[in-house]
Amino acid sequence: MTNSQFRLTAAVAEQSPVVTATGDIDLANVGEFGDTLTKAAAQSDSITVDLSEVSYCDSTAVRALFAVAATTKLALIVPAEGPITTLLGISGLDRVATVVTRN
Amino acid sequence: MSPVHFQPTQHPQLLALLHRILERIQSDLYEAVGLAITIHDRRRDEHASVIAALGVGSELVGAQLSGLGGPVADALAYQVPVLSLDLWTDDRWPQLTLDAVSERAPHHTDDLEQLHGEAAVPGVWADDATVAVSCTLSQPASAATVASLITYEQLVSAALITTAAENATAIEDIITVLQSRGAIEQAKGALMGLVRCDAEYAWRMLRRASQEFNVKLRELSVALVEHVSGARPSSPTPEHR
Repeated sequence: MTNSQFRLTAAVAEQSPVVTATGDIDLANVGEFGDTLTKAAAQSDSITVDLSEVSYCDSTAVRALFAVAATTKLALIVPAEGPITTLLGISGLDRVATVVTRN
Repeated sequence: MSPVHFQPTQHPQLLALLHRILERIQSDLYEAVGLAITIHDRRRDEHASVIAALGVGSELVGAQLSGLGGPVADALAYQVPVLSLDLWTDDRWPQLTLDAVSERAPHHTDDLEQLHGEAAVPGVWADDATVAVSCTLSQPASAATVASLITYEQLVSAALITTAAENATAIEDIITVLQSRGAIEQAKGALMGLVRCDAEYAWRMLRRASQEFNVKLRELSVALVEHVSGARPSSPTPEHR
């Protein structure tokens, strides 16, 4: 197990690849987040990004998610409320990605 | 202490460049009905204003900023990209209706009636000075619309920053970046026309060909556009190159 903040679970059979993010996503590590998303998108036409354990994310993460959604079907797992859910609503990313709420 | 204050509207060359960038976006996003670059310089305590526009861009953003709200107003306020599938029915801006905007721009009702989606991408070009690049479409906006604007926003912000720094040579470098980035979008468009497929399929074809032949996507795109059009991918500065 690595201690990376962004873990990629490869596609298995019918299951699309899953990127699981934890901690904060901001300018300091958004490059790594974007790279992981790109890697996942290269494996499949649809990916799932689990943001339920993310403590903070800003607009740089929203940009990275829009960028990957431009070429890949995107599903997001988010907490019921919090900064991430608010950002999804303001940006309208929730209208082009499938959003699943996890309590 | 602040130096003599930079005002984008006093730089005709910058405005001309921004206009060329909008033309470039329009050729990438052919469902575009209106495009605009809006700045908000809080240091001068000014309201946000449109400094370059095409189509109904100026009227539409003007209406949003006059109090109706909308993607551009929110992108500037929250500094996050904003997408709307259909402006007139979006629950985030109940006041932004076809009637309300038509009232403010009575000569553009025909164009406004065609509108569906909009995307706006913000950037920062100085402390407390922001910009938003926005595009209104005759179709719902998609993540691809936002992704495309993100690329151009970087260019617009860079143009503002470098002009503010009075460093004219850097603008040439930025245009070179635009050329190579634009090639991929052009190649996608060319494939869509050739094979009659959608953007997603064209993108997959390009990516697969790039992997299969071990060629960089960018180089492949340039070659494809040259092959299809018999010309080099269009450059925003044809007179210099």
